[in-house]
Amino acid sequence: MSQTEQDDLIAGRDDLILITGATGFIGSRLVASLLGRGFRNLRCLARPSSAAARVNALSTWSSDAGRIEVVRGNLLSREDCAAATRGAAVIYHLAAGRGEKSVPDAYLNSVVTTRNLMDASLAHKCLRRFVNVSSFTVYTNAQKPKSGLLDETCPVEEHPEQRGEAYCFAKVRQEEIVTEYGKRFGIPYVIVRPGYVYGPGNEGITGRVGIGTFGLFLHLGGSNTIPLTFVDNCAEAIALAGLKRGVDGEIFNVVDDDLPTSRQFLRQYKKKVKRFKSIYVPHALSFTLFYLWERYSIWSEGQLPPVYNRRDWRASYKKTRYSNEKLKTLLGWTPKVPTAEGLTRHFEACRNRGHNA
Amino acid sequence: MLKVAIVGCGKIADAHASQIHRIKGCEIVGVCDREPLMARQLYERFPVKRYFSGLTELLREARPDVVHITTPPESHFEIARLCLEGGCHVYVEKPFTLHEDEARTLIALAMEKGLKLTAGHDDQFRHVARRMRSLIQSGYLGGPPVHMESYYCYELGLSGYAGAILADKRHWVRRLPGKLLHNIISHGVARIAEFLTTESPQVIAHGFVSPLLKSMGEAEIIDELRVIISEEDRITAYFTFSSQMRPSLHGFRVYGSKNGLVLDQDQETLIKLRGTRFKSYAEMFIPPVVMAGQYLGNLRTNLRTFLDRDFHMKAGMKFLIESFYQSITDGAPLPISYREILLTARIMDIIFAQLDPKRSQSEVYDQIAGHAILPH
Repeated sequence: MSQTEQDDLIAGRDDLILITGATGFIGSRLVASLLGRGFRNLRCLARPSSAAARVNALSTWSSDAGRIEVVRGNLLSREDCAAATRGAAVIYHLAAGRGEKSVPDAYLNSVVTTRNLMDASLAHKCLRRFVNVSSFTVYTNAQKPKSGLLDETCPVEEHPEQRGEAYCFAKVRQEEIVTEYGKRFGIPYVIVRPGYVYGPGNEGITGRVGIGTFGLFLHLGGSNTIPLTFVDNCAEAIALAGLKRGVDGEIFNVVDDDLPTSRQFLRQYKKKVKRFKSIYVPHALSFTLFYLWERYSIWSEGQLPPVYNRRDWRASYKKTRYSNEKLKTLLGWTPKVPTAEGLTRHFEACRNRGHNA
Repeated sequence: MLKVAIVGCGKIADAHASQIHRIKGCEIVGVCDREPLMARQLYERFPVKRYFSGLTELLREARPDVVHITTPPESHFEIARLCLEGGCHVYVEKPFTLHEDEARTLIALAMEKGLKLTAGHDDQFRHVARRMRSLIQSGYLGGPPVHMESYYCYELGLSGYAGAILADKRHWVRRLPGKLLHNIISHGVARIAEFLTTESPQVIAHGFVSPLLKSMGEAEIIDELRVIISEEDRITAYFTFSSQMRPSLHGFRVYGSKNGLVLDQDQETLIKLRGTRFKSYAEMFIPPVVMAGQYLGNLRTNLRTFLDRDFHMKAGMKFLIESFYQSITDGAPLPISYREILLTARIMDIIFAQLDPKRSQSEVYDQIAGHAILPH
């Protein structure tokens, strides 16, 4: 890194950088990205439940490229948060709870943990930026016209509790608390919203393509563009979001260039990974089915949970265009792994894992 | 309008809020969690009037008639005591308390104050469990049970709840006397306790850490348990908890002097076992047809219940809550007798004491000997 490039960053190579969720799919790539940029003082927070092999892998990198301190801790513990944030100049907060079907679990492990982390960083008074890694799931597509552009100016779900998705509810509320702490306590923050992050380590097919059920894959995406970002590209974007000067308070969507359509993705997957039966469900029909499920869920007082509904359909299956212009303009990001290569590597990993839909 | 509050806003509180919402004549006037964010998220997602981070504040300002306690078990006793002192009826999630002594104290306090208590053994009120109870009460077994077998298994996923317990040496489940077992087995034990008639059954428990957990370096979480329960050489029961056996059963078998019944909670089926036999080869041909007919009957019942919009995963909880509220408002009998709550707690106490290498069996029985009389 040249001196000019270094001057454009808010942290020096020896400044302490904390990464939560460092053993995860994106977190481990972020650590590699930071090491690749010459940062030598990284603290990786791993959950007590993180696999030992992943934690050991991080420790191994330490001897090669700089000091990596791996600490086990629980973000629900104020003491663990205080210890983890001590001296940190930049915090990359990737740890989150998906909660699967449980909103309280997702909320506890996304919102309460984020609040704890921000409270702890306030006490140390040395934080230069808090990077909150969120998700495209926060967006509502309700008001946007069909084939409209989804960018950082688009509204997030006003009523995430009606989306029937624990992760969406937790992420919307997590962003709110980050923004609130930014305003109330002056914590400099950046929010990063990746699309669907794919690559070796996250094999499979995104729900934006379709749903596997009772041995049949329902292809719902059709000609929709799928907002993919290859994991290495995403990690680069997150790294830059934490380092670049002059972007405090900004939100960045992360998607790659040359995105495939759902149909193209599915066709390639079947060709390169595994053949399986799928049936295309036209948008009008899938919207109707989601609507009927929603109505039945209400009518039956939740006998079927409201996991399929119109809000969910609009967020996942409404035809949409995506932009990474802001990421390129303000952060100077470019996707180093082209989509064609990313997909090849992804499908190869899927094949090796014997994954199927 | 019955005013209801929920204390503890974690995962199970969602189920309570959903089912309370389905019951007419009540409203949730407040939810409470010492973590205000957790209280707020429940408040935001359900029709709830207010949220609180302090119990005293909840009791003083929301003035509930009934409080549902859905916190981790360690806190059940103290919160229930405070709620009873505050004049509220209390629904305590399972396990009711950590020890029988605590359960006894709460029940005594409730009786003294003219208030009511129940335990969250909602599995006993699922449709299939209620059908079984009706049959037994109608005399189908030919008298009291001779033998029972209760299975309550648990598949340990290495992510999620079990993964968190296994990885986190500070997890609250590890502080419970029976650890993982303590938080799970009361449903299966209560099924047996319901049909026991004496106060101090003999209990022989054998538990161990499964080879799978041992291979992961786990030494203190017992995930395999076999229990023999007997009372005065009349009624016997086996209880099985396993994380390893497949299928992971949740079921109950009960045999009387005349007939038997097999309840499968996962499939919501109840099968009658005839006590008599057909002659010769007929025993090999007719019963399979009868069994097939019974399974078809169960399918019809399940479909009908689903079409009637009453086949929710937590339908048992709704019935239990509704019955508990009726006992408060109309003076109907309590859905779960205090005797059953205490006996369940007693059996669990004995099991965990036997699994504790530091305690002798005589010490365990000495401890319960002072409490021979259980209230009916």
